[in-house]
Amino acid sequence: MSTIPALYIQFLAATLFCLGLATTLTRRNLFFLLMGIEVMLNAANLSFVGFSRTFAGAASIEGLTIPVFVIALAAAEACVGLAMLILVFRSRESVDADAYSRMKE
Amino acid sequence: MEHLALIYFGLFSLISVVCASMVLFARHPINGAMALIGLMTSLSGLYAILHAPFLAVLQVLVYAGAIIMLLVFVIMVLGGAKDDHTPRFDALGLGLLIVPAGILAVLVHAFRTAPLAIDEKAVRGTVDVTGQALFNVSTGNVVLFEAVGLALLAALVGAVLLAKRSLDSSKENKA
Repeated sequence: MSTIPALYIQFLAATLFCLGLATTLTRRNLFFLLMGIEVMLNAANLSFVGFSRTFAGAASIEGLTIPVFVIALAAAEACVGLAMLILVFRSRESVDADAYSRMKE
Repeated sequence: MEHLALIYFGLFSLISVVCASMVLFARHPINGAMALIGLMTSLSGLYAILHAPFLAVLQVLVYAGAIIMLLVFVIMVLGGAKDDHTPRFDALGLGLLIVPAGILAVLVHAFRTAPLAIDEKAVRGTVDVTGQALFNVSTGNVVLFEAVGLALLAALVGAVLLAKRSLDSSKENKA
C-alpha cells in the first residue's frame, strides 16, 4: 500500500532536526530558541513514526507510542519554558539571549 | 494510486521544510509561530499518510492547538514587537552552523548505508491499537504513561510557582 521509501522519511526527519538545531544555535531571540526545540522534537517524532513502519506486527506500534510521550513532555517543556521566559523578560525587558549572559547581577 | 502517497509525501515534506526554514529566518516571533503552525499541520498530514491517524489527530490537538497557542499568547503578552532591534544572527552563531551541517552529513551517510525498507505487515496505528499499546501493563507502557502524567503535574506546579514568585516580588517592590 504505502509506496513511500523509508529512506525519504528519515532524510526529511534529519533535515528538519538540523533546521531546528540551527534555529536554536544561531538565533539570538529567546522565543526562537524554544521554537527550535519544538522543531527538533517534532523531527524526532517523525523519525520514530518512519522507523515504526519498518517493523512488522506489534513492534510497529511501539514506535507510535513513544511520540505520544514526547508530545506530552513537549507540552510540559513549553509550559515551564514560557513561564521562565516571562520571568526573565520582566527582570530585563529584553528577548536577546545575550542580555542574560550574566547569571548574577 | 500508487504514486498518490508519494505525491502527498513530497507536498507535505516541501511544506514542512519551507516552514522550518521560515522559523529559522523569521524576523518577528509571531511570523516564526505562524510558520511553526504550518510545520505542525504538515507533519500531521505526514503522520496520516504514514498510517498513524491517532498521532495525526494528537499533533493538531496538542501542538497546533495548545502549544503554539500558548507560544503566540506569550509573544502577544510580552509585546514581541519591541524586539525589532535585536539582530537575528551574529558571527558566532553563523559559525556554529557547522554543527547542524555536520550532524546532517553524518545522519545522511548513516541512513544511506542502513538497510531500511517499509514492512508491509506494519500495523496501522489507529486509536484502538495505539491505546491498547499505551495501557499495556506487560510492556511497562502504563508505568511510563503515569510517569508522564506526573511530569505534566510537576511542570504545572512549577509554572504556578514561577508565576507566584514574580507576583510576590512585584508586591515587595511596591512596598
